[in-house]
Amino acid sequence: MDGWQKKHLLGIKDLSRQEIEIIFELAASFKELSQREVKKAPALRGKTMINLFFESSTRTRTSFELAAKRLSADVLNFSSSSSSLSKGESLEDTIKNLEAYHPDILVIRIGYSECLHNLSRYTLASIVNAGDGNSEHPTQALLDMFTVKEIKGKLDGLSVLIVGDITHSRVARSNIFGFQKFSAHIKVCGPSTLIPYEFDKLGVEISYDFDEAIRDADVIIMLRIQKERQEISFFPSIREYVEKFALTAERIKKIKKDCIIMHPGPVNWDVEISSQLKEELHPLILKQVENGLAIRMAVLYLAGTKKRKYEDIN
Amino acid sequence: MKILIREGRIVNFDAIQNADILIHNSRIIKIGRIEEKADKEINARGKVILPGLIDMHTHLRTPGWEDREDLTTGSLAAAKGGFTTIFCMPNTSPALDNEGYLKWIIKEAERIGIVDIYPVGAITKSREGKELTEFGILKKAGCLCLSDDGDPLEDVSLLRKALEYAGMFNLLIISHCEEKKLSYTGSMTESVISSKYGMEGIPSISESIGVFRDLELARYLKVKIHLAHISTKRSLEIIKKAKEEGVRVTCETAPHYFILKVEDLEKNNFHANFKVNPPLGEEEDIEAVKEAIKEGVIDCIATDHAPHSIAEKELPFTKAPFGFIGLEFAFALSYTYLVKRKIIDLKGLVEKMSYRPANILGLKDKGYIKEGAFADLAIVDLNQTWEVNKKDIVSKSKNTPFIGYILHGLIEYTFHKGKIVYNRAVSSRL
Ligand SMILES: [Zn+2]
Repeated sequence: MDGWQKKHLLGIKDLSRQEIEIIFELAASFKELSQREVKKAPALRGKTMINLFFESSTRTRTSFELAAKRLSADVLNFSSSSSSLSKGESLEDTIKNLEAYHPDILVIRIGYSECLHNLSRYTLASIVNAGDGNSEHPTQALLDMFTVKEIKGKLDGLSVLIVGDITHSRVARSNIFGFQKFSAHIKVCGPSTLIPYEFDKLGVEISYDFDEAIRDADVIIMLRIQKERQEISFFPSIREYVEKFALTAERIKKIKKDCIIMHPGPVNWDVEISSQLKEELHPLILKQVENGLAIRMAVLYLAGTKKRKYEDIN
Repeated sequence: MKILIREGRIVNFDAIQNADILIHNSRIIKIGRIEEKADKEINARGKVILPGLIDMHTHLRTPGWEDREDLTTGSLAAAKGGFTTIFCMPNTSPALDNEGYLKWIIKEAERIGIVDIYPVGAITKSREGKELTEFGILKKAGCLCLSDDGDPLEDVSLLRKALEYAGMFNLLIISHCEEKKLSYTGSMTESVISSKYGMEGIPSISESIGVFRDLELARYLKVKIHLAHISTKRSLEIIKKAKEEGVRVTCETAPHYFILKVEDLEKNNFHANFKVNPPLGEEEDIEAVKEAIKEGVIDCIATDHAPHSIAEKELPFTKAPFGFIGLEFAFALSYTYLVKRKIIDLKGLVEKMSYRPANILGLKDKGYIKEGAFADLAIVDLNQTWEVNKKDIVSKSKNTPFIGYILHGLIEYTFHKGKIVYNRAVSSRL
């Protein structure tokens, strides 16, 4: 693909606006393919993709798997728990062992932020980040942006509001880096204990008042709250969280007429979003899933047509 | 055995003189113009001669992790870096918390015969922060200072007792200042960079709150205290004020705290070789450390030499252990980044790396080149530059962020008690 130089897709922060547009263009054509009777293209025939998931995520893994199969690649799923990675050898060894299968693409989901650069030394394959720690989840942000672009017809200069646990969210970070490349105005909103230190220095606005912030957003991204983690120390109770930060039937009345509401899924109904809104919002969330497939096909296509060789990242 | 070092430039913390040095067995017997014949002569023309460097903060991983470092490789690394006396921290397995381990280390170091190794005794048994060790018995075994480095006492009343009790034996407490509840499982300085990458941060106040707590105790009890590896601007402001008010505090920093900053993590893709505790700070911290070195708020420069295996440092950044090796580079790093950049002069560096540590720990006949002192010396060629190279490292572990750095100042010889323990021409490829 003209203009595409990258070997790996490690994060949105490394992409240029032009590269993001290349992915969107491809995704649009793959989406069209998925609507045909015969949904397969031979683009990655003879190539091997390995899904290497150190954290379980059936949704993301399945989406990558189907995307690869639609492009005729061979797919291998390899799951392992992060806890088995207590020794350095095992992570390195895992990658090196898989190298024996000569994979062209490694799709990796892992619990550690920013560890993929260093892993790329052990493989000739292209690495696609399927979520690394709290750092990035690039394909999620790409599909979010793609969905917005599809509905709005443009991405430039939008007001994007991201609500919830920003600190522990790779989805938030990837979306921030992505939308910023299209001059979006980004506001994050959540409990003050879950907004990272000096986050405003990244050029985002911080708000603790959802009722106020909701009014001028063109796009609202509701983040998933991990009940097990947050409840304990970051805010006193889910009840209080819902009171202040949940999207409710009451609050949704205040949104702009053409505001898009998104959620990376799976939704904790009645935590981030009131189940009263289920009927209204679910179709859009499912549209995100469909677009996720097209985005992942585009990303795998770009990664899979790269030669198997070591390449310096930068 | 007599050794004559000819025409070197002798640098003490307070004076520089061009003279010959005559060594007889373990001591310097004469300094000046020497006509006498010796068994061996070394020409030091164009080189400087420093009192052997003294490192107050080394981890030798012995006993317990001899695959990371042992007393021999640690000694060799020290000698290569111009050190003749090193203090090894007690966070070993088992911890250095009884006289048996201490005596064994001292005896082993004597047997190896490369540098003096003084074990730092643990403050509490097994470094668990619960019960004090037997300070008096440790002292008798040769212990000069105590620390639970890495795991600062959480129980402030126990720390109070330790400071009081140590005072009775004139033992120095070395405190690693860190409020662990704040640093928690963080792996880098909390900053816009940690926020950007989704890394759990260590707030800089976790050090300065520890500093403040310990200095309040030292002030109240009127006892001495030494603070290890100080890294932040705010800590230094607190220490400076305490010093002005007469608190008996001394402190050290390490070279990485005046050279590297949090941005270096980003530039190096979060390789674990850049992970250290306290973590690399912001630009203002580096500037404050340099200023404090210049003003004397920081008394000495230690290495915090912390060997780790390759596998440990190949772990993801957030999982890997903290620490760098430092013995082989500390002098050249300090000379390059402090003296060459005119923060302090060479005498000032000798003060920070030899005279003051000797003085703080009450080491007799060390830290100053004079007649009668131990012949602990480093001969350095300041005009040489060299590149930090993995294959030249003699420490068992190779975990340093300084690979590829071009440094000024090359150690040519190290003498320990009159014996040549390092000679670059024969023992190194450099
Ligand atoms: Zn320490």
